[in-house]
Amino acid sequence: MEKKLVDQEISSYIIQFQEEELKRIATELHEGIGQTLYGIYTSLGFLETGLDQPEMKQYMQETALLMEKTINEVRMLSVELYPPALEIGLVPAIKSYAKLFTSTYGIIVEIESSGTPQDISKSGKLVLFRVCQEALANIAKYAGTSCASIIIEWEPSLVKMQIQDYGEGFDLKEALKKTSGLAAMKGRMDLGGGTFSAESEIGKGSAIKVSLPLEQPS
Amino acid sequence: MINNTGEEQQVLRLFDQLRERISIDFVALAFQNVKGTDITWRYAAGNSNDKYKRITVRYGKGVAGKVILTGRSILVEEFPHNISGTVLDYPIMLAEKLVSVYAVPLFPFNHPKGVLLIGRRNKAIFTKREQLDVQMFAEDLESIIMI
Repeated sequence: MEKKLVDQEISSYIIQFQEEELKRIATELHEGIGQTLYGIYTSLGFLETGLDQPEMKQYMQETALLMEKTINEVRMLSVELYPPALEIGLVPAIKSYAKLFTSTYGIIVEIESSGTPQDISKSGKLVLFRVCQEALANIAKYAGTSCASIIIEWEPSLVKMQIQDYGEGFDLKEALKKTSGLAAMKGRMDLGGGTFSAESEIGKGSAIKVSLPLEQPS
Repeated sequence: MINNTGEEQQVLRLFDQLRERISIDFVALAFQNVKGTDITWRYAAGNSNDKYKRITVRYGKGVAGKVILTGRSILVEEFPHNISGTVLDYPIMLAEKLVSVYAVPLFPFNHPKGVLLIGRRNKAIFTKREQLDVQMFAEDLESIIMI
């Protein structure tokens, strides 16, 4: 029993450390490298105005375009690692990520939030966001579907989230035996003090259901 | 997405010719939009769903993104084995359940602006001859596509 508690504490520490690193890298990409690249991009525009040769102007425009694409990719990479919208709230962060997910994988994600959004701890927001990210990644990899839905229900002392697809489904028992995304989601929810369950039926789709108790203000 | 009927008809005709020449399950063309820097899949044939229409190619990511970044063709023989990056870096292959693909760049005005991609849903080698055919079709497409 004591060993299990120690293991849980170690896992929590590792996850927290990883999350802090991801946030640091995301911030560095967005505010450090991203801003520097933007500075170069505006300088290229300025330099272009001083060019007379049409070929050189065209070359400079293409270089600026390349820089713009790189800036966009750095921004998207940063959002994938740690969405800035998470600082605003869970639902805005999930909406922001779902938009990026649709434009990357072509899968439409419908988001429904009911009840009054409650205060949720930073670690709680991260746990739910990462589970959502993992569930959507599994849908892109295995579900073979064009749409998915995320339902978030706010209760006074609990937040519930369901990520559902109507795709191919899978053998749940087999999937849980492997070190898979499902195991990772369950592990995160366990460590965060929440619950996790998965349902799936071949040919009908699957659903990930999680819940997390909300910290009561003292 | 450009809605140009003439362009669409010409591209789809070329796709048909390509499919008569090479046994493939899927063929698609991604190209930079007229406005902005986004590269989207404009046309496809043999698609099993409409996900390609919503996908924006990410610069440097996946088959198409890497073709645009490097300006070189890319061959994937047996997805997801021996790929660089992770499975999630290959959206069009996941969307269409492709196993083997060959993708070549389109170079209007000497800059890579688009990608012609052919794919099969089973493991199958694309011969040198087939690869050359695709490169020729890509050159034909360069003159059709509205930039």
